[in-house]
Amino acid sequence: MSDDFRARARAWLAANAPRRAAGDDEAEAESRGQAAVIAEHKAFQAKLHAAGFAGITWPREYGGQGLTSAEQIIWSQESAGYDLPTGVFFIGLSMPGNTLVELGTDAQKRRYLPKMLSGEEIWCQLFSEPGAGSDVASLQTSAVRDGDEWVLNGEKVWTSGAQYSDFGAILARTDPTKPKHNGISMFIVDMHAPGVTVRPLKVATGHSPFNEVFFDNVRLPAGALIGEENKGWDAAVVMLRHERIAIGTMGSSRTSPLAFSTLRDLAAGLGKTADQGVRRELAELYARSRAVQLFALLLREETQAGRLPGARGSVAKLAGSDLGRFAGNVAADVLGDQLAAFDTDELAAVSTAIVAAPGSAIAGGTSEIQRNIIGERVLGLAKDPGVDRATPFNQLRVGTQREQ
Amino acid sequence: MTLILTDEEVALADSVRKFVADRSPLTSLRQLIASGEPFDAGVWKQMTAQLGLAGLTIPESYGGAGAGYSALSVALTELGAGLVASPLLGCLLAAEAVLRLGDDTAKQGLLPNIAAGELIVTLAVASSAGGQVTASGAGDGTVLTGTVSPVLNGAEADVLLVPADGADGKAIYLVQGGADGLARTRLTAVDHSRSLARITLAGTPARALAGDAAAALAAAADLANLALAAESAGAMKACLDMTSGYARIRVAFGQPIGAFQAVKHRLADMEKSFELGYAALRDAARAGDEKPGDFPVAASVARVLLASAYAEAAVDTVQLHGGIGFTWEHDAHLYYKNGLSNKVLLGGPGEQLDRLADALGI
Ligand SMILES: Cc1cc2nc3c(=O)[nH]c(=O)nc-3n(C[C@H](O)[C@H](O)[C@H](O)COP(=O)(O)OP(=O)(O)OC[C@H]3O[C@@H](n4cnc5c(N)ncnc54)[C@H](O)[C@@H]3O)c2cc1C
Repeated sequence: MSDDFRARARAWLAANAPRRAAGDDEAEAESRGQAAVIAEHKAFQAKLHAAGFAGITWPREYGGQGLTSAEQIIWSQESAGYDLPTGVFFIGLSMPGNTLVELGTDAQKRRYLPKMLSGEEIWCQLFSEPGAGSDVASLQTSAVRDGDEWVLNGEKVWTSGAQYSDFGAILARTDPTKPKHNGISMFIVDMHAPGVTVRPLKVATGHSPFNEVFFDNVRLPAGALIGEENKGWDAAVVMLRHERIAIGTMGSSRTSPLAFSTLRDLAAGLGKTADQGVRRELAELYARSRAVQLFALLLREETQAGRLPGARGSVAKLAGSDLGRFAGNVAADVLGDQLAAFDTDELAAVSTAIVAAPGSAIAGGTSEIQRNIIGERVLGLAKDPGVDRATPFNQLRVGTQREQ
Repeated sequence: MTLILTDEEVALADSVRKFVADRSPLTSLRQLIASGEPFDAGVWKQMTAQLGLAGLTIPESYGGAGAGYSALSVALTELGAGLVASPLLGCLLAAEAVLRLGDDTAKQGLLPNIAAGELIVTLAVASSAGGQVTASGAGDGTVLTGTVSPVLNGAEADVLLVPADGADGKAIYLVQGGADGLARTRLTAVDHSRSLARITLAGTPARALAGDAAAALAAAADLANLALAAESAGAMKACLDMTSGYARIRVAFGQPIGAFQAVKHRLADMEKSFELGYAALRDAARAGDEKPGDFPVAASVARVLLASAYAEAAVDTVQLHGGIGFTWEHDAHLYYKNGLSNKVLLGGPGEQLDRLADALGI
């Protein structure tokens, strides 16, 4: 059965998956135009789904394949050598998608999951706000009940992919008189609804992968609530867990500008691989990258054996961010002043990747927050005292405060 | 084969852990320190005759269990966690070299006795700075001259396998522990759980073993990487458990010290390095059994990551225990010294990275 699946996956990938050179989606969006990139990703996701390789572990009645994590592992192994053009669906499938599989109503699952899988609808995750990131439970966006609907007002920020998303999973405050974790709900919001405004923000690399999003009296229909009213924090915890595991086990592309093989080839091109220091750094980069891949594989095997990774997903995420930083240092040593100024695409890609590296230590929960999670939930250390945990939200100070 | 342990491996780990707790707790290492004995002969007898640990990688046809590298690494992880002093590592390396050579007499004569714990055999290798031995003469008149240091259990070994350069290149020579002109000086080992010696040969009679010495030494070096990585993983986990346990119960400024991020984050990083190193160790063990071609790189990766991470974790273990962690009575220094020794034995981090770079074709 699984040998069969492996053979099928291998053959399909060989026939259908493009092998791409180094580069990232944002840089490509810049050069080819965003619409072209999205069209390519939608078309590829549709093909992937039609061939039976999307939603491998999701139930069949919602468009999934109804298979086990064994097939999921096989798929990850077989597809590891490719850069599949499905990036715009990564957030939707791994975060809101997996959360809906776990917590959604039957109607929600029927309506939304099949179209995520078939590449028809793109989703984003609307958690962070100007005043609430690490401490996302301090969010101020509000949803006020009106009959069996809600009215949404507020501002989200750093929302990846909002500029081309059809739906978002949003956290909003539904009861400000309760302590901050107890008055939040999670909703599905239609990004094309009246009152939704998306404005792209530029990041350090000069690209615009994320946005600020404004909600001005946006109506959320009955049926938009994910999980229970005022239990949105529980739903958020579920989604954040999926997020860490997805990011942590995503693996890095072999063609990444900061991958061992890329830097080794660049070093060889500069005649630097005879230098003992450079050789040692490259060898250590190989060792560290390999360990990050292997740990992701170990987590997947444990999942398959019925042991869920839980908070150890944070270990994988932290390790991935640290590796990016280490690889940047190796690149600087290997390339020396050739990295300071350049006129080749190869060096530009390395430079962009180094500039982008800190983002992965912030997105999806900062490395400091991951260390808190590992300390508290893996090692059982005492929690941060959390001075504000019991105070009603409407009596708290949140966000950036300056002396008057 | 998978990275996660099989049921048999879990059972093996459990039985070795129980053995260590019953027969070789850290208090017995302190008794060895006091008595000056290199290891407890009764414990060694049980490890070999009863648990069969010296024969895990020796084929059944030579009296071993033929259980493979993965089983061995599982057992070594538990022994490492308990800092069990024994001549196992030296015996493993010697057995590996003999297995890779083509000398039937040596195989028949040594391997069953190593597996049974009847004979302590060691491979007289050290890092590139560890000395040199040359061979001269021929046949029964072959003699060795030179020095190797530090050699694992060099002072206690009944038989030593000594690599030496002769007229026909490098070969591995068999030297009896009582041979003429062999001087063995037990050195002061920084790690109380290892016995290390300087071997000096002055016209010492030896027998050249048939076979490809370079290949045998390379295989032994790979196995040493796996073994030191496995022991380090176990010991590092012991440090992590000990230190996070203490951070849960030691109170300062009105809260458990684990609530302070300076402590919590250091432990989180320790957990991260452990998990990464452990995954690399499992990969190396798996490669050893199933993909021998990948073994040199995989074992090197595991060693490079775990040796450094464990040494760091052991220092942090001292630091995060405060004053009590710096006392002789506390176990932290036993791990600290073991971590330092594991990091440098048979070549320190730089040499290991050079070797990995070679294996990767950089
Ligand atoms: C590339 C990128 C993409 C993103 N995409 C999305 C998205 O799609 N959807 C979305 O909702 N959000 C997204 N984010 C937002 C991201 O989740 C937040 O930026 C992140 O959680 C940090 O929040 P903050 O920016 O408010 O920083 P703050 O929380 O203000 O943190 C500032 C600093 O304080 C530290 N800090 C805060 N609290 C603690 C603590 N308890 N202990 C120790 N240190 C602490 C942080 O680690 C950080 O170093 C994205 C961010 C980036 C960079």
